Amino acid sequence: MSIRIKLLLVLSVFLAIPFLGWGYVRELDRVLQNAQEQKIAGTAQAVATALHDRARLFDRTPVPLESLEKEHRGSGDAPQAMPHPGAVAEVEQILNGMSRTTSRIWIVDRNLDVLARTGSLHAPTAAPEPEPQGLERIGRWIEEGLLHPLYALALAQPTEDFSEEGAAATLAGMREVDGALAGRLTTTRRTTPDGRAVIVAAAQPIWIGDDVRGAVVVEETANAELALRNRAFERLFTIVLATLLIGSVALTLFASRLTARIRRLRDEAEAAIDAQGRVRGALAGSSARDEIGDLSRSFSAVVTRLAQYAGYRENMASRLSHELRTPLAVVRSSLDNLRQAAVPHEARVYIDRAQGGLARLAEILTRMTEATRLEHSLHDAERERIELGALVTACVDGYRLAYAARVFVLDVPAAPLVIAGAPDLIAQMLDKLVANAHEFAPAGAPVAIRLAQDDVHAHVEVENEGPLLPEGMRERLFDSMVSVRAQSGGETPHLGLGLYIVRLVAEFHGGGARAENRTDGKGVVVTITLPLAVDR
Amino acid sequence: MSRRIAIVEDEPAIRANYTDVLKRQGYDVAAYADRATAMSAFRTRLPDLALIDIGLADDVDGGFALCQELRALSASLPILFLSARDSDFDIVAGLRLGADDYVTKDVSLPHLTARIAALFRRSELAQAPAGADDVLARGPLALDLKRLSVQWNDRRVDLTLTEFWMVHALARHPGHVKDRDSLMRDARIVVDDATITSHVKRIRKKFVAVDASFDRIDTVYGMGYRWRE
Repeated sequence: MSIRIKLLLVLSVFLAIPFLGWGYVRELDRVLQNAQEQKIAGTAQAVATALHDRARLFDRTPVPLESLEKEHRGSGDAPQAMPHPGAVAEVEQILNGMSRTTSRIWIVDRNLDVLARTGSLHAPTAAPEPEPQGLERIGRWIEEGLLHPLYALALAQPTEDFSEEGAAATLAGMREVDGALAGRLTTTRRTTPDGRAVIVAAAQPIWIGDDVRGAVVVEETANAELALRNRAFERLFTIVLATLLIGSVALTLFASRLTARIRRLRDEAEAAIDAQGRVRGALAGSSARDEIGDLSRSFSAVVTRLAQYAGYRENMASRLSHELRTPLAVVRSSLDNLRQAAVPHEARVYIDRAQGGLARLAEILTRMTEATRLEHSLHDAERERIELGALVTACVDGYRLAYAARVFVLDVPAAPLVIAGAPDLIAQMLDKLVANAHEFAPAGAPVAIRLAQDDVHAHVEVENEGPLLPEGMRERLFDSMVSVRAQSGGETPHLGLGLYIVRLVAEFHGGGARAENRTDGKGVVVTITLPLAVDR
Repeated sequence: MSRRIAIVEDEPAIRANYTDVLKRQGYDVAAYADRATAMSAFRTRLPDLALIDIGLADDVDGGFALCQELRALSASLPILFLSARDSDFDIVAGLRLGADDYVTKDVSLPHLTARIAALFRRSELAQAPAGADDVLARGPLALDLKRLSVQWNDRRVDLTLTEFWMVHALARHPGHVKDRDSLMRDARIVVDDATITSHVKRIRKKFVAVDASFDRIDTVYGMGYRWRE
C-alpha cells in the first residue's frame, strides 16, 4: 500500500467529527426544545395572568372570537349562550398582542369549551431571499444542489405542509389541558395526526380565587427550532466536509510529493548500483533539509564509499604487486648471485627450490597486474571488423593443442558473425573462459564452445560439466578478486581475476557476461553477449 | 680497458646485487642511488651503458628525467630501463624518451647480463660492415645477428633488443607458430601475455612504418604468432 493511501486512511479518523457533531447537535436540540417550551409556557402564563380573577369571563359560555364566528355559524351548531360583550372585548384585547407570533392560543373553561382562540400554527410565508452573486452563487449551488439533498436524508426537515385537522376536537383529553385544569403548568410535545410536524403545547390554569376555572393553551410547531437545529448541523457538517476535502487534497499533494521524492531516491539508488553490485556512478545527494534529504545524502555517501571500496579492491592487486616486485627482485638477484658464487653442491638444491618458489611468486604477481594492464590497454585498443566464427575456431584449434587431454566441442554457425572489436582481447577473453572451464570440468568431460546470434547480438557460450555455482555468487563472479574455488593451493594461483578480465573485455565491446548453472544441473554455462557490427 | 656501466637504483640490496654480478662479468660498475648524484657524475664522465630504475625513491619518474638528460649528453649511449613497473604505458614512455630497451625487475641476472652484452655488441658494431655469414635472410627481411639490427627491403627497421630477439625467434622458423612463452624465452624477458601482444603490435607498427603493406606476422589466436613466408 502506498504512503498516499495510508495517509488518506489516517485522515479517515476525522470522519468521527460528523458523529461528534451529531451528538452536539442533539444536545443543542434539547436546549432549543427547552427554550421553546419555556417560551410558550411564558406566553401561556402571561395570558393566564391577565385572565386571573376575572370571574365574569367564565360566568357564561362566551362566544368565540371573530375569527371563529364564521366557522361556528357555518357548521350550524352555534352555542346557545352568548358571551358578555365586555368580556369578549377584553379577551380580544389581551390576545391581540399575541396574534403576530406563530403560536395558536386557546382559552378554554373547565368544560373544555373554547372561550377564545387566536393565531395559526402555520408560519407566514417568508420573503424570498435575494439572488446571490458571483462566488456566493457557486457556494449556494453546492449547498443546495449537493449538500441539502444529502442532509435531507439524515435530518427531518421542517415543513409547513401539515394538517391541523381535528385540532379543535382533540383539545379534549390532552395531557396539557388536563394538567392545567388540575392546576399545574404543563408542557407537552406531540406530532400532528398526519405526522408531518411536531407541535409543542403549554397549558396554564386560570385561577379565579382558589379555583381553576379555565386554561390557556399555547401551541406552536417545532419547525422554527428544527430549522435552527438543522442549520446548525448543516453549517457544522459543511465546515467539516470542507475541512476534510481541503485536508485530503493537501495531504494527498504532500504525500505525492513525498512519495515522488522517495521514488526518485529509490530509482537513483537502483541506478547507481547495477545488478552485479557495481557502482555505476555517484549519487547526487539532495540538498533538502528534511529526513528524506538526509536519507538521500547518506545513500550518496554509501554509494561513494562503495565506489571507493570497489576502486580500492580493483587497484589493490596492482598496487600490491608493484610493492612486492622490489623485494622479489632483491631475492631473485641475490639467488642469481649465489648461484654464480662457489657454493657447495648440496646448497644448490636449496637455491633451486628457492628459485622455484620465486617463479611461482612472480607468476602470481604477473596475474595480479594482468587485469590492471588490460584496463590500461583498453584505452588505446583498436577495433576492427572480426568474423567471430573464424576467430573462435582458430582459438579452439589452439586449445586443442594446449589442453591435449581435453575434448573440445565446437559449434559455429555457417553464417558469418561479424563484430567490431579487438581480436586480441576477444582471444584473451576466450582463453580465460576456456581455462576456467578446463579446470572445473572433470577429466574426460568435454568443454563445449558454442556460437549463436540473435538480431543484434552474438552469443559465445562456454559450457562445462562440473560443480555448480554457489547461490548468491552468480552476480559477483565477474568482480575483481572474487573466486568460488576452494582455497587449495594448486599449481597455478587463483586470484579471481580471470572472469573479471572476461567482463572487462565484454564490456569494452559493449556487451556483457553472465554465468548460469546448466538446466540439467550438472554444469555451468558462461555466456558472453557481444553486439554485432552494424553493416556499412 | 673494461667497459663502464652506471647503475641508478634506489634500492640498496638490488643495487649491490647488480653491481656484484656485473663486476663478476668484468665490467667496471658505478652505482648511484638518486638522480642528482648520478647526473653530476655523468657530467664529469659518461658511462658506456646506463641501467636506470624509473622510480627513484620519492622521485617517482626520476628515471625518465634522467634518461632524457643523459640522451641529451650522448645520442649513442645504450640506456636500459629497469623497473618494477610493467605497464605498457611505462614501456612506451621509456622507449620514447630514447631508452634502448626496457626490462622489468623480474628479469633473471643471466638474462640481464646477456642483454647488456648484446647492447654493447650492437653499439660497437653498428658502424662495422656486415659479414655475410651473420645475416639471416628471409625474403625482404635481413637480420644481422652480430649487430642485432634489422633491414626490410634494405631499409633499416629500428627495433629494440627485445623486439629484435622476438623477430629473430619468429623468422628463424617461418610458418611455425611460436607461443608466447617461447617468444618470452627467446627475447629473454619475463612479461605477461598482454605485454607480448603489445610488443608484437609495436614490431608490426615499426615494419609498417617502413613498408605500409607489411603483413608477415600472423596472430594465431589461442596459440601465438607465426612469421609468414
